[in-house]
Amino acid sequence: MIGNRVVITGAGVISPLGDSPARLHDSLGRGLSAIKPIKLFSTEGLGCPLGGEIADFDATKYLGQRNLRPLDRTSRLVASAAQLALADSGWSIEMRNVQEIGLVLGTMFCSLHTISEFDRRALEAGPAYASPMDFSNTVINAAAGQTAIAHNLRDVNTTISTGVTSGLEAISYATELIRSGRARALLAGGADELCFESFYGFDRAGLLCRSNVTAGDFPIPFDSRRNGSALGEGAALLMLEDVALARERGAKILGEVVGHGSSYDCSRGQDSVQAVEAIASAIRHAMSDAFLLPHEIDCLSASANGSRGGDQHEAEGVVAGLNGQTQKLPVTAIKSMLGETLGASGPMQAVSLLETMRDGVLPGIPQLHQVEDDFPLTMARSKNQEADVINGLINSIGFDGHCCSLILSRGEEN
Amino acid sequence: MDRRIVITGIGVVTPIGIGCEMFWNNLLAGQSGIAPVQSFDTSEYNVHRGAEVKEFNAEDYILNLDAAHLGRASQFAIAAARLALADAGVEIGSLDRKRAGVSMGTTSGEPREVERFDDAYVSKQLDRIGPEFIQLYPCHVIAAHVASELQFAGVNTMIPTACAAGNYAIAHALDVMRAGRADLMLAGGSDAFSRITFTGFARLGAVAPEICQPFDRFRKGMIPGEGAGVLVLEPLDRARRRGARIYAEVAGYGLSCDAHHMTAAHPEGAGAERAMRQALADSRTNCEDVSYISAHGTGTATNDRLETIAVKRLFKDEAYRIPISSIKSMLGHTMGAASAIEAAVCALAVFSNRIPPTINLNDPDPECDLDYVANSARELPVNIAMNNAYAFGGNNASLILRKRELLN
Repeated sequence: MIGNRVVITGAGVISPLGDSPARLHDSLGRGLSAIKPIKLFSTEGLGCPLGGEIADFDATKYLGQRNLRPLDRTSRLVASAAQLALADSGWSIEMRNVQEIGLVLGTMFCSLHTISEFDRRALEAGPAYASPMDFSNTVINAAAGQTAIAHNLRDVNTTISTGVTSGLEAISYATELIRSGRARALLAGGADELCFESFYGFDRAGLLCRSNVTAGDFPIPFDSRRNGSALGEGAALLMLEDVALARERGAKILGEVVGHGSSYDCSRGQDSVQAVEAIASAIRHAMSDAFLLPHEIDCLSASANGSRGGDQHEAEGVVAGLNGQTQKLPVTAIKSMLGETLGASGPMQAVSLLETMRDGVLPGIPQLHQVEDDFPLTMARSKNQEADVINGLINSIGFDGHCCSLILSRGEEN
Repeated sequence: MDRRIVITGIGVVTPIGIGCEMFWNNLLAGQSGIAPVQSFDTSEYNVHRGAEVKEFNAEDYILNLDAAHLGRASQFAIAAARLALADAGVEIGSLDRKRAGVSMGTTSGEPREVERFDDAYVSKQLDRIGPEFIQLYPCHVIAAHVASELQFAGVNTMIPTACAAGNYAIAHALDVMRAGRADLMLAGGSDAFSRITFTGFARLGAVAPEICQPFDRFRKGMIPGEGAGVLVLEPLDRARRRGARIYAEVAGYGLSCDAHHMTAAHPEGAGAERAMRQALADSRTNCEDVSYISAHGTGTATNDRLETIAVKRLFKDEAYRIPISSIKSMLGHTMGAASAIEAAVCALAVFSNRIPPTINLNDPDPECDLDYVANSARELPVNIAMNNAYAFGGNNASLILRKRELLN
């Protein structure tokens, strides 16, 4: 790590398991699952009827009675999480007029539903009936733009879209901007919504768990019975600041981003050797960026989501990336409860990890009964683990080759 | 590692030519790539012209992946990447593949995949849509396909900041290289001609019926287009060591957000000015030293007027001296590729001391009273070029390219 230190001074989260870091952590600690029959759209004829939907999401709860009509579901999720993160970190409107704040958002689709609906309306009723307001939301940077308008965020505004790793890449990107002094305070994280169009795509690609068991039983990361992931939704944003600014304004410091690393598997998961090596490589980059050795990593928040190949590659990649020193490494995989929230997933893991650093509770992987025989991660458990975490490793691994790792360290006041 | 990052290769796929040489010659000659739309039937629209890429044969460039199963934006991106590497004289086998990365921008990703989904949906034949939809649609596949084709295992990023995406992607690649995270980056943007984009701009009343005439008093709007632009970026020391031709240094950039309106720019050009100001500061450039500005210049009434205001706000009297041109007068608006192609133009301008014209500019708008290089290319010393790009969401990005002779 070279340049300014980057600290986390607040977090905002909108998820089916709670709309604050504490509530999300409590739900995860109790092993609650968000994976239930979907109500947002019909899943008739699809292989998987389950998803992690935010059933009662109401943006006015966070944003008040302003005009929300121009914001689609993804934009509302992001603007709400931004409101919570700004409030949590103490950045009032007045302070934001003096110090410009930016936003780096990771999202896989932004709103595929908005894009598709706009096009379908033009097909069905004729192009003259397509909605200009919806058109402005068909761009993939729409949610970041809408959120900037909602909260007057005039500094850097960047959207990153690298699939599952989008959110973690966004945090990495923001970290670099603060390290180099280009920005001083940035909201960074990710979001994706649950919608029919992307759900249909994942289902048809055979990536979702197909079970006839009761709701909540699947997916099961690292388990020998795993047969796919479940899709979820949500938004999670961290307030990242240059440490000097955070101290100057007396902000509470939740943690620090000490390292990040990325790599790409050119075989896109088709070749196990390359896939494992890419994951290991991202971890090694993050470790050297953080000036940390494998034994200094106190827990892993895995990307594992229940996919057959992906979980296997990650288990092996972690061991390779940490030079085999994983026998005593506690592991969690919160996608077992939240599902695969795509762009939101890495930042959700970051929010959860900060809570673990605070109270020492690492959530279990509730349905885990039998870790796949040859998986070298010995400390994946169904029950919560006590963990004194100073440095935690977070992985994000995409369906098609993207790998990103991030290392957070505990805040100073602990 | 040298923190000075230079452009050593250029690859473009455009409506007026594929490959750097053909494109540049046509651009200087003021040739237009705007013609009746062929990608889909426009009879239900009130506008019918676009800037599509013609005579593009994906198999000429895609040697390892299955070209027929890739979306058009991925095909363009791979072609531009291969052209850029060849132009740079880079032997792919000589690279440390873990330190070779890709940073791309786009507006729409692979829009034809979602359009195919929508066609099936409205005709109640959704079962025709299989696994390929989610494998080929998401925008990150453009950067992923480039990397898989070339076996680049380093940083791989997609920045979909709409019509300014190319500049964002190049700026990101610059940061990756300044931080020493790669030896070589391919950076640029790609977009395929899209029904969704065409419909949207038509509904906004932003599409011109015939031609694109930025800064002209009677300008009637933009013309949607398609294409790709990719640059090869390397640290200066590495480029010198291998005796590479250096087009220009990527000297700095600035990003800002209007936080004002999704589709309309800030009425005083405040966000655009902030991005330009930061780009100058980042590259330690003074207003007096800027030799050329490649405008966003879409040809819509508002954009061209506000862009002029923003340039005047920052450059004051200097604004009247600096030649400014919009190649969108010839290429139309190639969306996420636009600012990448325009960055290539800036690199070629500082390399060859020539700047392309703004064509169709016959009756200047009194509110647009700067020097827009009307209708003919110009030859003059170009030391420093500024590349401006603005997007939906109020995303503004300015890039500064500097002449290699100014490097020590």
